[in-house]
Amino acid sequence: MGQIIVMPKLGLTMTKGNLIKWFKKEGDVIKKGEKIFSVETDKLTNDIEAACSGILRKIIVESGTREILEPVAIIADKDEDISELLSKASVSEDTNKVVEKEEVKKEVKEEKKSSNNNKRVKASPKAKRLAKKEGIDIRLVDGSGPGGVINEEDVLEFIENMKKEAEKKVKTSPTADKIAENLGVDVNNISKEDRVMKDDVIEYWNFERVQEMASPKETTKDMSTMRKIIADRMHSSQQVTASVNYNLSVDTTEMQNLRKQLKPFYKITYTDILVKILSKVLLEYPELNATMSGQKIITRNYVNMGIAVAKEEGLLVPVVKYANVKGIKGISKEIKSLAKKAKINSLEPDEMQGATFTISNLGMYGMESFTPIINHPEVAILGVNTIKDVAHKIDGELKFKPMMNLSLTADHRVVDGSKAAEFLNRLKEYIENPSILVL
Amino acid sequence: MKILIIGGGPGGYVSAIRAAQLGADVTLIEKKYIGGTCLNVGCIPTKVLLNTVDLYDTLMKDGSALGIDFEKLAVNWDTLQNRKNNIVSDLVGGVEKLLEADAVKVLRGTGKLTQKNKAEVTLLDGSVEEVTFDKAILATGSKVTIVPIPGIDTEGILTSDEILSLEELPESLCIVGGGVIGSEFASVFSRLGVDVTIVEMLPRIIATMEETLTQYLDYSLKDSGVKILTETKVTKFGKNGDHIDIHIDSAEGKSILNAEKVLLSIGRRPVVEGLGLEALNIDQKNGIAINEMMQTSAENIYAIGDCTGGVMLAHVASAQGIAAVENIMTINSKMDFKTIPYCVYTKPEIASVGMTEADAKEKNIDYKVGSFPLSGSGKAMILNEGEGLVKFIISSETEEILGMHMVGPKATELIVEGALALRLEATVDEIVTTIHAHPTMSESVQEAAHDVFKQAIHLMY
Repeated sequence: MGQIIVMPKLGLTMTKGNLIKWFKKEGDVIKKGEKIFSVETDKLTNDIEAACSGILRKIIVESGTREILEPVAIIADKDEDISELLSKASVSEDTNKVVEKEEVKKEVKEEKKSSNNNKRVKASPKAKRLAKKEGIDIRLVDGSGPGGVINEEDVLEFIENMKKEAEKKVKTSPTADKIAENLGVDVNNISKEDRVMKDDVIEYWNFERVQEMASPKETTKDMSTMRKIIADRMHSSQQVTASVNYNLSVDTTEMQNLRKQLKPFYKITYTDILVKILSKVLLEYPELNATMSGQKIITRNYVNMGIAVAKEEGLLVPVVKYANVKGIKGISKEIKSLAKKAKINSLEPDEMQGATFTISNLGMYGMESFTPIINHPEVAILGVNTIKDVAHKIDGELKFKPMMNLSLTADHRVVDGSKAAEFLNRLKEYIENPSILVL
Repeated sequence: MKILIIGGGPGGYVSAIRAAQLGADVTLIEKKYIGGTCLNVGCIPTKVLLNTVDLYDTLMKDGSALGIDFEKLAVNWDTLQNRKNNIVSDLVGGVEKLLEADAVKVLRGTGKLTQKNKAEVTLLDGSVEEVTFDKAILATGSKVTIVPIPGIDTEGILTSDEILSLEELPESLCIVGGGVIGSEFASVFSRLGVDVTIVEMLPRIIATMEETLTQYLDYSLKDSGVKILTETKVTKFGKNGDHIDIHIDSAEGKSILNAEKVLLSIGRRPVVEGLGLEALNIDQKNGIAINEMMQTSAENIYAIGDCTGGVMLAHVASAQGIAAVENIMTINSKMDFKTIPYCVYTKPEIASVGMTEADAKEKNIDYKVGSFPLSGSGKAMILNEGEGLVKFIISSETEEILGMHMVGPKATELIVEGALALRLEATVDEIVTTIHAHPTMSESVQEAAHDVFKQAIHLMY
């Protein structure tokens, strides 16, 4: 016996599925349980198995999105007459088209209208009168009269089909019906291949309640120019670079002392100190202060430090130019001024260009580690994390040290692992003994 | 897929056939008889006896009222035993043919799991054969519980297996345990003229079923001369000539009963010994532990039926077997335990499916009851068995049928209507609007459903 294969319902809330692939072609022998096609929903992709054996006589839907239970193929015996199944399948296809039409966006509708308007509708006066009375667009009715003339019966049949479609009922157990009535659930919303039982109704009702409580809403808005740029740059960096993440924990006792000692003279931040140290160390490791251009590597004898600054609308990276020749105080002043400008949107384009390395500090948010994305075409970026007291065993005693994790991302195309590790260790050396700076 | 099944009872042989249908390579190990307890010493032989006893009893008691006069009516115990044995061997032979037709390899012996995918079979001739498998299904069944009462091994104390093949009827019989098995044997022997006493620890016989049903049986057994001692314990057995003394203890004090034979029917326990469960770390506690796929704690070993210690009924074992095989052969299959019919083949018959009133009360379900006494049934009157009733338990909220219970003629056949109603989540309305043939016992089922709304045609309200 031939059978119509439909778009399966793979989950409680699934209403449509995207047929993405056929494993079989027309004329193939199908065994029950064999994979025949693949369906994608917004959640998952499933391979669908044949529920019966036979020959795949007709593929109705090659690919694309269809509502559940809509026919996609016919499996039948080799010589079986499938014309009845075909017409059955195409009838429901037509009714679905009508449903779809209602959902299609305005433009499409208008387009349809105009094209339909151009086509003259041939219909008997009686048919026209009835269509008008029932509020039916007569252009949607297929004519069965000579030359495709629409007669009264065609309109009546159309109305009947519409009603049937509207009342399309799923199979239910009597108890499921009663419970659905008591709970006010429309069982037609529950799509299931076999009978809807009471547990299905209760499950659906629970789902509806959760949905009601959550009152889910999605808002769509255009991306700001800034967002678009960030999106493009982050994405292309991830695609282009061969990034590797390195983490190293450093003792910040001495860096804290330095900050304390300088406090009476000038108030500086950890970022200021780190920029200063980085500017020194980067000159020792030019690979990390480089740019890859085609098959060439460009290195410099200067450091332009990009400082990631968070704003409500997005991320900005103002640049401290030639940081390697500036003192901590100068660096500090400049970072403050750049950050301020960034916040009030008054950075000049020039002030955001030419960085050779970037530092990004998430320590104030308590981050312990992260994997920053390289600000391409730079080849490395340093992520700075929070300072946390960690117990160390020193001379048999537990002592707490203020530790900070450094998260480096480097492009392996230019920077090998050992180099990145050496670089991080040199940073550690400086951070743990900042007095080297005066050498 | 190579499937090994240990045990050839209604769980094991049904599994074997279903597995073969689905294309598996099946080996079945059976140590004694294909068909297991059910076919050989349980369901089938007891019902052969009951059938003859029913005919005999009806004619003896009501023959002349039914219009049958006879001069000499007697049960020929030997012939009856032969008939029983013939039916059993015919059925066992039939199952063996089915297994053969499905190319199931049957090994006669005792199976024991040795490794994850290996078992050894000690064949009846003592030789040992090794069998490898992908999946195994344990279906080893149950055996009669023997409790350590002093004197339990006294000669003349029988299990249900042994009492079936008694060469002659005893003059008196004491049945220890008034559950389903005990009550069925009481129904057989009392109506054959044996002086029967039931000793039951609980307050009533077949305490697992609705009292509204069992009270009919209680009355009927007593009417056939059975003495029923409830809330009574056996403390000791002792030999007394060719009889047995049964020492009992109840609220009324201690006393001693005396009977020619004693039947122990206090329950059955899962057979789990010697299966190699320990070697494979398979959990068992009062039976082999399984999940709803019938899988044991070892992923490729399944267990079904009595040996899992659940509901010990042949039809449950078969259903579990089919579910296990289908799960093995990748058809996702679960068993719906709510549609299990419970049947007692006494006179009158008792059958039950789904929730009892007590269950509904315990679960705090708002329920309604509809019932119909068989005294109002034409067919029951024709059968001369107007004592009994049909009863429905339904949900007040949805009118879903939660349980059907019946006592009376054909109850065990009619209960399937209730099971189907439960399976389909039918409401009272579906029973009421289904046309039931006249005159049949099934009309009473429809009337009981009508009674939920106080609308039975043949009742006065």
